[in-house]
Amino acid sequence: MTDDIARARTLLRIGGVVTLLALLGGAGVYLLALRYTPVEASQGLAQKIFYLHVPAAWGALVAFSLCGLASAAYLLLNEPRVDRFAASSAEVGLAFAAVMLTTGPIWGKPIWGTWWDWDPRLTLTLLLFFLFLGYGALRGALHDPRERARFSAVVGIMALVLVPFIHLSVYLYRTIHPMPIVLRPDGPTLPIEMLRTLLVSVAVFTLLYLGLVTMRYALGLAQDHAEANAGGTDA
Amino acid sequence: MPDTPQNGQFMVAAYIVAAVIYLSYSLTLYLRARSAASGKR
Repeated sequence: MTDDIARARTLLRIGGVVTLLALLGGAGVYLLALRYTPVEASQGLAQKIFYLHVPAAWGALVAFSLCGLASAAYLLLNEPRVDRFAASSAEVGLAFAAVMLTTGPIWGKPIWGTWWDWDPRLTLTLLLFFLFLGYGALRGALHDPRERARFSAVVGIMALVLVPFIHLSVYLYRTIHPMPIVLRPDGPTLPIEMLRTLLVSVAVFTLLYLGLVTMRYALGLAQDHAEANAGGTDA
Repeated sequence: MPDTPQNGQFMVAAYIVAAVIYLSYSLTLYLRARSAASGKR
């Protein structure tokens, strides 16, 4: 057994435990949202989707931003570990983005009266999701590890450019998406029970991101090891 | 003042969808990584 495989197994164990804890924490967030936070008078129970949708958006944007930054770092350092992290963060970001893009319309239907609107924030977020699907497809299509890392790093950096536009889109364009109520210059505007539940949820889903990225990194490490061995055998 | 809307089914649907996505991705990722780390691809 080589060092890489031993390291991959250790990382998988750590990532698995962290992920399990975060998933249990996710069940706790559901209970907090249901039992602790008040029902918002104008939106009803549908408002509680907030505690799921906002942390998913946070997780996706952090994951994609870190992928973009790691991609830039890879082009500077040429370090395979950085490329492996970028690939891991991109794939995990897609899971968070899938939750964001499904819970958003389920919340939108009772509040806006429509599942979807081609509004700048929603459209840019969907484009970002497709860009990272393309990033994954590109990685799957290229067999040379250095070429794969270099080409996908360029896509990762280009996708990073979209992230600030998505965050600022509610200020820059006319949009039906609500303005930020937590990350505001004059402080959060929601009741303290809602703010506490949201912060717990963001912490839990950040932990989930860390657990999933660790497991995905372990997978990448084991795959790179197998690829290197196969290359060695072929040559 | 208008009554609070009765739309709990949307909340339940969103939590179920999110749970399915997170649980299925976590499980498949764990199984893929375990398989790769044990030498089976």
